[in-house]
Amino acid sequence: MPEHTTPPEPAEPSASSGPPYDCPYCDRAFHRESYLALHRGQTHPDDLTDAERQAFETARDEEEEALRLFRLQALAALVFIYFGFLLVYAFSL
Amino acid sequence: MRCPQRRAVGAGLVAASLALALTGRATAHGGSLSADDSRALAVPLWLFLSTGGGVVGVSFLLTSFVTDRELLRAVRERRRDVVLPSGVRRWLAICARAIGLLGLAAVLVVGVVGPAAPLSNLAVLVVWVGWWAGFTMTTYLVGNAWPVFNPWRVALPLRERLPAPDWRLPERVGSWPAVAGLLAFIWLEVVSPLAGDPRLLAGVVGAYSALAVAGGFAFGEEWFERVDPISRVFASFGAVAPVYRDAGGSLGLRVPGTGLESPDLVRDASDVAFVVALLWVTTYDGLVATPPWRGFATAIVGAGVPAAVLYPVALLAGFGVFLAIYRVAVSRGRRDAESYRDPLELANRFAPSLLAIAAGYHVAHYLGYFIELSPALLGALSAPLAPPAPVAVVLPPWFSVVSLGFVLLGHLGAIWVAHAVAYDLFPSRMQAVRSQYALTAAMVFYTMTSLWIVSRPYAAPPFV
Repeated sequence: MPEHTTPPEPAEPSASSGPPYDCPYCDRAFHRESYLALHRGQTHPDDLTDAERQAFETARDEEEEALRLFRLQALAALVFIYFGFLLVYAFSL
Repeated sequence: MRCPQRRAVGAGLVAASLALALTGRATAHGGSLSADDSRALAVPLWLFLSTGGGVVGVSFLLTSFVTDRELLRAVRERRRDVVLPSGVRRWLAICARAIGLLGLAAVLVVGVVGPAAPLSNLAVLVVWVGWWAGFTMTTYLVGNAWPVFNPWRVALPLRERLPAPDWRLPERVGSWPAVAGLLAFIWLEVVSPLAGDPRLLAGVVGAYSALAVAGGFAFGEEWFERVDPISRVFASFGAVAPVYRDAGGSLGLRVPGTGLESPDLVRDASDVAFVVALLWVTTYDGLVATPPWRGFATAIVGAGVPAAVLYPVALLAGFGVFLAIYRVAVSRGRRDAESYRDPLELANRFAPSLLAIAAGYHVAHYLGYFIELSPALLGALSAPLAPPAPVAVVLPPWFSVVSLGFVLLGHLGAIWVAHAVAYDLFPSRMQAVRSQYALTAAMVFYTMTSLWIVSRPYAAPPFV
């Protein structure tokens, strides 16, 4: 199979809007500024400027917030699935 | 972070065991040949299937609670060296090669001159019980030892001593020959009485040996990496195993399944196709032995389609469907995660997680078979040409629950691997979570398909 290692095409339509955010330290691009900030903090921690470090910390806090919300939703889904099955089994057995 | 994680793991175990208790009743008869009505499906089929799908979905939700990158990395990088003195290793390798060659010779000789009854013939028992069931289980439960056992590798030292052609496969051929070989193998296994006719089995093994030795002689190591489907199957399963061999050749121990997180396990689209083919062939093998397939095949053959066309077409069509579902799931996941990463790269990274599922299916299909027939294998080994009457172990009814447990364990492993890979690929953990929705849906589909198959009674494939 031919190796398609062509760089990703930023022009491709995607779920998110906004221009691609290019990493200054490597060739990766991101749909959101916060993804770029997280990437820089994780992959290039020693090259960061003060502003970039600040952006990384802000993005990490926002990510933590989004995760907290997701955990609640996941918990709700678990409870729903658990009791849903419990009821269905109670009625079908 | 520690406490919620432990709680999540505990909750996962509770959920899995609950589901096992519930589904255990449903599948108590699955796969067994005896038509015992008292053990018929205790819950409606739709409920049985949705419970299986639900368990996979729930395990995704539980895994998503593990949000600590450090923990995922620590699990992946927890390695131990296994130090064996080089003399011992060389000696073990020589023994293994001798066992491999002796086994091959026994299959060829006893297959031809031994008893015609399959369960008394050493060739049938060694190939199906000892090798395809038993040895394959060791490749994912312990480690892939096939390179040292593989008798056809004698072609490699021969190649160094004799004037051998130095043929190379074109780069773009990739692993497609192995994909085609694997599909062809399963087709042959389904349509011919390979498991019931020792003479035919010896003939096929002999023909394959000639091909493999010639191929190994002409192409060298490349043959076993890209063409020989058997070596590829074992190498793929070996990635699940705890014991591994690193690039330098020394042995190590890792957490089972974490080898699947390696970025260079699946290199291109043909490798992805091989992994999906491995998942599909187990499903196909079960599918053609169900009553609905019998009805379908009878109708199609009645309409004038030859059975010789129906089986390979169904094999290829189902493979295409499985592959398409995987590709759609990956590209959908890429969109959900808002990633610019190359879709092919994502397909390569997530494909190995499917190997955990394939390994789970393999245990579920073959562990019982192996235990039932191992006394017959031992009997045939003790007296190859005049074996005692075959004895079979009768498994208790709860054993099918154990089998089902392995299917679930494979799925849980796959979910964990895909989760860890997503964390490795995406900077934002929310991207990692979103990338898994479509993949989880695909895994739910695979699970429900295979549960549907195991819940059908056995019906011998028609027209073969």
